[in-house]
Amino acid sequence: MRALIFPVCWLLLMSPAAWGTVFPDEPRARTPLVISAALDLSVVSPLLEAFQAAHPRIDVDFREDTTLAVNDSVSNGPPAPDVVISSAMPLQMARVNDGWARRLDSPQARAWPDWAKWRNEVFGFTFEPIVMVYRLDLARHMLPPQTHADLQQLLTSHAELLDRRVTTYSPQVSAIGYTLSQQDARYSTRFWELVDAMGQLNAGLERDTQTMLEGINEGRYWLGYNLIGSYAMAYAQHHPDIIVQVPMDYSLVMMRMVFVHRDAEHPEAAETFVNFLLGPEGQHVLAGQTPLFSPLTDMAGPWTARRLREQVGEHLYPIPLDASLLAFVDPARREAFMRQWRETFGSVEDSPSASP
Amino acid sequence: MITVTRSIKWRMAMWLLISVLGLGALLMLEAWQSSRQAAERAFDAQLAAAALTVSEAVQWRDGVPEVIIPPAALQILATSSEERVFYAVLDADGRQLSSNWPLWPVPDALQTSLGQAPDSAPLVVDQPTLHGSLRLYGREVSSAGWVDQQPVQVWVGHTLSGREQLTWALFRQAVSRFLIMVVLAGLLMALTIRYVLAPLRRLRHQLRMRDAEDMGPLEAHVPREIRELAETLDHLFARQRQGREDLLRFTADASHQLKTPLAGLQTTTELALRSDDPDHWREALGAVHDSAARTSRLASQLLSLARLRHIQGDVTQTSLELTGLVREVALDWAGREQARHHDLGLEPLPPAPVMVTAQDWALRELLGNLIDNALHYTPAGSRISLMVNREGKDVCLAVLDDGPGVASEALERLCRPFERAGRQDTEGSGLGLAIVETIAQRLGGRVRVTNLQPHGLQVALWLPEVRLSGAGLPEKRGLPGDSSARTEV
Repeated sequence: MRALIFPVCWLLLMSPAAWGTVFPDEPRARTPLVISAALDLSVVSPLLEAFQAAHPRIDVDFREDTTLAVNDSVSNGPPAPDVVISSAMPLQMARVNDGWARRLDSPQARAWPDWAKWRNEVFGFTFEPIVMVYRLDLARHMLPPQTHADLQQLLTSHAELLDRRVTTYSPQVSAIGYTLSQQDARYSTRFWELVDAMGQLNAGLERDTQTMLEGINEGRYWLGYNLIGSYAMAYAQHHPDIIVQVPMDYSLVMMRMVFVHRDAEHPEAAETFVNFLLGPEGQHVLAGQTPLFSPLTDMAGPWTARRLREQVGEHLYPIPLDASLLAFVDPARREAFMRQWRETFGSVEDSPSASP
Repeated sequence: MITVTRSIKWRMAMWLLISVLGLGALLMLEAWQSSRQAAERAFDAQLAAAALTVSEAVQWRDGVPEVIIPPAALQILATSSEERVFYAVLDADGRQLSSNWPLWPVPDALQTSLGQAPDSAPLVVDQPTLHGSLRLYGREVSSAGWVDQQPVQVWVGHTLSGREQLTWALFRQAVSRFLIMVVLAGLLMALTIRYVLAPLRRLRHQLRMRDAEDMGPLEAHVPREIRELAETLDHLFARQRQGREDLLRFTADASHQLKTPLAGLQTTTELALRSDDPDHWREALGAVHDSAARTSRLASQLLSLARLRHIQGDVTQTSLELTGLVREVALDWAGREQARHHDLGLEPLPPAPVMVTAQDWALRELLGNLIDNALHYTPAGSRISLMVNREGKDVCLAVLDDGPGVASEALERLCRPFERAGRQDTEGSGLGLAIVETIAQRLGGRVRVTNLQPHGLQVALWLPEVRLSGAGLPEKRGLPGDSSARTEV
């Protein structure tokens, strides 16, 4: 089935010239498309360019923002954004559960793997491993960590050397950081030992991966924990003294989730975009030109889930894209979790509190 | 005239169709109900499991209930059909300890009814909300704490699409099972009809192959249900055989009867031709005349019998008054030359008019034949009486005489044509009683011939009487209705 559909899609979507012959040139109104996204434009631009080339009559208005701002944009309308993309999986899931998404009934949506979608309303379209990043300086002093246990041991055994030289997400400020911590805590109670150790050596809590990477590059930090692998790998390509380590015991995998807004002002353009994103052409760009990784198993390119599995083994644990994510946005659960986190970490955070 | 109606196959198919449709509608209704119940049970069990998991997560901390929603509870709640989920945990005052739809509080009425439910029985309701219709499941948990304890209400809910899908899936299965069964039953029925009708086809084939002259009984193996038809056919053949034989005998008898006087005529005329004496001629002519008259009467009786037997269909019959008719016929016959040596009279007639349904000419013919018979077969001076009696619902019309009667073994045969009970000495043709019986059959009556004691013969005809309502009594025709003695005419 898929083998049949894809060539047709290629023919129809990838060749504007073919469109031109079917529909003779005529001046037609250009459709705007508003995308509210927690996703670096620099990372995703090849995808947008490919989309623009395939659909020249759609003007993409890509509004990059933080996860919390993107989440607010969903209900701040009208006007509502047409497409919502965010890495804050629980927040996206909560929005969809509340009925903010439009159901997609396209071949691409139906063909999308079940484990990476919910109700055909929201789709996880990337496959980004969560990684540890360290400077080469670290390797001169000690054996770099390969697993969570290594890291915990390293932090306790070299506490003085690593004081203030370790960084991770602030679960208080960053929705991704909070989600990752929750998921880590689900897998092992020893996560709290790690938090305790990081608290002991006054680890720096940052709000996004980019800041952590810059800190490591500048030498402020030697070691970063729970960074988004896609950004880190892209960054490491141009910074040879930064090493990306996918944990060898287990590695969380985060998926960006995309949905078409229920009140989208340009629903057709929005559906076209999401279908492009989920279709072979969009995934092909994702796998070939962005470090976001395609979750599809039959994609060829340097950035695919299959390639990643080949490199790091089978211990990739995608954060399940299902109703259980809703538990992470529960205020009572969040409050209890954060209380425990603060108590374990030890120091009171100085950053302004924000809740997802 | 054979009118072809719908075929048996068609009828059976229609009955099958009607019963299948009726039964099918009931079955479909039942299937839909049970499908829905099964789906509801399956999904309600998921709700209950999710609620249990959530209530396990309620703990007390510093005198305040605290709930840490377990992710698994929400996964159970969403089910495999990815329902939208709702949960709320409320404290004793109705405050939300935790909820994923803070803008939609559980309605107070539901909270109250759950609070009043005995033994913390769960409450399951369908509830419309902001986000579409939900199936809500609530249970009250009384959780023990160190400082304080108060009941906590746990509400979980999800949308209904999974239930609908499961209901439809189960229903479709039931329907397809039923349809397959109907098709199979139809095929079996068609085969059965074919098999069951085989004896009829054999019978038809046998009848078609039968020789036109063959009036013998059927030789066929038939099932019990067709036995009646086969027996009826056999009876029909037997009657036709009988009719043919009767016809042949009648024709033979008639020819014989006509041949005798013609042979006599031939002899008489031959003898007369040989003689030269005009007196002989005259004598012979007289004999020829008498014989011709008898033959003519015989021929007319044969004709009347044949006509009576061959008139088909329903000839219009009218109501007529019997006593007056009998009186007229008696008067008529009393005045004739033939009755001069006999005592012809009427038994006392019923005072009221007696109505029967008959044709006037038929009754006159019948009475005439009976009187004529009596005149022929009794010696001169015998008494001949006509009698009309009511017997229950019937009317008895009888002609009696005090002649010698008939040998009892001949009584049965008396109504056959040309039967004269051994009395070949008279001029009768032997057709009179045959005509009488034929007429009686046509009028719907019956004839019985009995010997009287000490001697004499009675021929009686019973006809159904027509009862008139009192108002329509016909006028009396001046009869001495109250006379109790026999009337000489």
